[in-house]
Amino acid sequence: MQAPQDALWYKDAIIYQVHVKSFYDSNADGIGDFRGLAQRLDYLQDLGVNAVWLMPFFPSPLRDDGYDIADYYSVHPNYGTIDDFKVFLDAAHERGIRVIIEMVLNHTSDQHAWFQESRKTRDNPRRDWYVWSETDTRYKGTRIIFLDTELSNWAWDPVSKEYYWHRFFSHQPDLNYDNPAVREEMWTVMKFWLDMGVDAFRLDAVPYLVEREGTNCENLPETHAIIKELRKKLDANYPGRMLLAEANQWPADLRPYFGDGDEFNAAFHFPLMPRMFMALKLEDRKPVTEILQQTPEIPPNCQWCLFLRNHDELTLEMVTDMERDYMYDEYAKDKGMRLNLGIRRRLAPLLDNDRRRIELMTGMLMSLPGTPIVYYGDEIGMGDNVNLGDRNGVRTPMQWDGGWNGGFSAADPESLYSPLMLNPVYGYQAINVQSQKRFDHSLLFWMKRMIKVRKSQAVFGRGSIEFLYPANHRILAYVRQLDRDAVLVVNNLSSSAQAVELDLRRYKGNILIEMFGRNIFPRIGELPYLLTLGPYQFFWFRLRRI
Amino acid sequence: MPEESILTDDFLRELMNVGEVDILIGIATCNDAKTAGDVILAVRAGLLKCFPRQRAVIINADCGSQDGTPDLVRAASISDMRQGPNVHALRTLHCVSTQVPGDPHGGAALHTFLAAADLLRASTCAVFAPDSTAIEPEWVERLVRPVLRDNFDLVTPLYRRHKFDALLVRNLLYPMTRALYGRRLREPYALDFAFSGKLGSYFLGRDLWTEDSVQTGAETLLTTSALGGDFRVAQSFLGERTRGEGSPPDLVSAIRRTAGALFWSLDGNYPAWSNAKESQPVTTIGAEHEISVEPMRVDRTRLYELFVRGVSELIEPVLKPILSPATLAELQRITALPEESLRYSGELWVQTIYEFAASYHKSVISRDHIIQALAPLYRGRAFTFLVENSDATADDIENYVEALCLTFEHMKPSLLQMWAGEK
Repeated sequence: MQAPQDALWYKDAIIYQVHVKSFYDSNADGIGDFRGLAQRLDYLQDLGVNAVWLMPFFPSPLRDDGYDIADYYSVHPNYGTIDDFKVFLDAAHERGIRVIIEMVLNHTSDQHAWFQESRKTRDNPRRDWYVWSETDTRYKGTRIIFLDTELSNWAWDPVSKEYYWHRFFSHQPDLNYDNPAVREEMWTVMKFWLDMGVDAFRLDAVPYLVEREGTNCENLPETHAIIKELRKKLDANYPGRMLLAEANQWPADLRPYFGDGDEFNAAFHFPLMPRMFMALKLEDRKPVTEILQQTPEIPPNCQWCLFLRNHDELTLEMVTDMERDYMYDEYAKDKGMRLNLGIRRRLAPLLDNDRRRIELMTGMLMSLPGTPIVYYGDEIGMGDNVNLGDRNGVRTPMQWDGGWNGGFSAADPESLYSPLMLNPVYGYQAINVQSQKRFDHSLLFWMKRMIKVRKSQAVFGRGSIEFLYPANHRILAYVRQLDRDAVLVVNNLSSSAQAVELDLRRYKGNILIEMFGRNIFPRIGELPYLLTLGPYQFFWFRLRRI
Repeated sequence: MPEESILTDDFLRELMNVGEVDILIGIATCNDAKTAGDVILAVRAGLLKCFPRQRAVIINADCGSQDGTPDLVRAASISDMRQGPNVHALRTLHCVSTQVPGDPHGGAALHTFLAAADLLRASTCAVFAPDSTAIEPEWVERLVRPVLRDNFDLVTPLYRRHKFDALLVRNLLYPMTRALYGRRLREPYALDFAFSGKLGSYFLGRDLWTEDSVQTGAETLLTTSALGGDFRVAQSFLGERTRGEGSPPDLVSAIRRTAGALFWSLDGNYPAWSNAKESQPVTTIGAEHEISVEPMRVDRTRLYELFVRGVSELIEPVLKPILSPATLAELQRITALPEESLRYSGELWVQTIYEFAASYHKSVISRDHIIQALAPLYRGRAFTFLVENSDATADDIENYVEALCLTFEHMKPSLLQMWAGEK
């Protein structure tokens, strides 16, 4: 692995997000595991991704799908052993695939030994590892994140006879980061995995690390100080590793998480994602250009991470009420699809299984400034099952073939961790890797081609962006530039054919070369450059001056 | 297609960029910078508040303003680069301005709106006057919603008026339209109204765009087309109708635009209006009538003088050829009365109007002269209205107008006979 010489590898990464339990079951117990994941690394290498982000796999009572951690130094037996993980890690590295793992800093499971000790007595050495209070009135005004299930950020502990603070589920007590011992221990945890060779951490729920009276307990200066401290240690001891922030905040509030290039290396651009879906429905680029205009510059060694869908609900926290209502009405008419100010659906069902729209959205994901993240299964157009409760409907088993259990597991179907998708549209017999490998025009093949083209130009991961604002608001057009390389991207957000005139005089004299077919388009002159695009069509053009 | 010839290349290019819309708002201007800016912003606010999800465009047909009116319109656009403080919009809103020949009340403006609506497949259109200084954002909803959601084809406004305001509407346009077409639209030829894409396309396709009446009274003809066809009409209460501080409208132009167009429409719509029986109420949204009665100074003497002088000047060249001997005699009799005794009765007024309409139909003399001749006679009727209602309450005014309407309706057979040449 190239780490020291390629400190900015995450700018060129194509990240594949996967849950170990969902990918491949090697031992027929109905649950995916690390040995299975290792066996499927060839698939990922063939797809073209060069980084894998694993959802939590530490020991856990699994009441929040692993985000409730009971032991930071081991692997949940469902998924294998530490040695299995090491084998997987090495195999990934051999294929040029980096590994990003979850590090849930903000809270643990209430089953974690630390909490079990903390709650025993008020003078326990670990008492101060969590945030306790005699009343539930402290930190008033702090919003509740899991609105559908929690009524308060405080929970009463009958053992300790005090309240403890939790920003998420009540079985996930928040760690107390005002305690140096907590900070030291979490660094020790990270070192454990870094020493093994892990390339990066996705730090979950970072805005909420610290609480202060009279604030909204989010994005506090003390939180940033903690992150700086971690990053400093990371760079000093493990150069080339990466910290990725999960901070669901407005762009202006996200910017501080990059610091002066000395906090997080990367952060998810949460506000952009729902606006891409909004722009598509509105057939109007305004939501996208507006949020990106509000997105501040970030230090040159930092990166946005972009995504369309993930393991959580499509969050609508960072939109206005009007926008949220619109998204619900357009994308989640069935109220069962709505959860916690979001929509718990996968990419293909959100886009009505429309291949053109799936390609357009993926094209934007791959060409807007940032590192793209592909959620497992979206590369073949998997569907969802909202009847599975919580967000489990978007975490169903990977569909490998049309046979037994969709090729996911040799176990009895009844023992799978989750039912498979069965309906005629999204079921495993209709949507699976094996069938899509058989023909060149499958979504899988298209995705591979898309990733290949994306990787062919560093400009996508490292370049600037300049929006063009053609009068036709249904067209989202921009130029990506890195040194002397420039790529023009033109997206038709409309369901009908569009004509657009682009002012490209700045690039006069350049020949446009369409990047997928590599055909030549007319040279740019003085006059507006006229393009016509079919419904949901997009172009990527390299600009060449010969 | 004829409508395309009125669209300049630049305007057409802008329409291409707008694309399909749900709502098209038209505003015709001519050096209206003092008031048009506020009107546009109120309309925009109405669209954002009441129809945030609909695709909309504001089209300005301008006569060639020299005061920057078109720039005010364009500045109201909501785009990637332009939104303004406290403006929260889901969508882009294009505000497009194009130049049209003639004055803002000419047919070219409405023609432009109709053509644009047709090309952009707008299901709902609304037109607002550039000098509606009392306009509120809610006016947009009150006019647009009945078309957009409830499938009406024409929605005319209702205003809160002073009892001495809109006398032409109260004494001629409303009662005559009601009597002839059988539908009780109180403001049939207003400058703020809405219509469906279906009605717009129908009117656009009619072979009348070269007629003089279209050039002066296109809005009137749109209404009569709706009333004469299979279209659903409604009226919606807006609020106070006030006008900017410019010079008051010229009476002859106003009569030409309204009564003249109404008369012209009778030929083409004869089957519809001749068969219409007793008038029926139309769907009314909000208050049907709100009349204010605070004291107002009016120059009745001037009206009297203009009436008397006008009649005496027009007797030989115009009134004798078009009025029956009985009507003419009665008219001469009341013209000779002193001011305090002059009363232009409802019956005489209706008879006069119907004889004018029949003469217009037969083109007894120049049709435009017939229309112009209405002006002094209308002044006499307006004078009578002012005198007989000087202390009237709002209910009194309502009853007075209702009585006049019934007179128009009862005397309609007389018009039909004259029309057919039986009288």
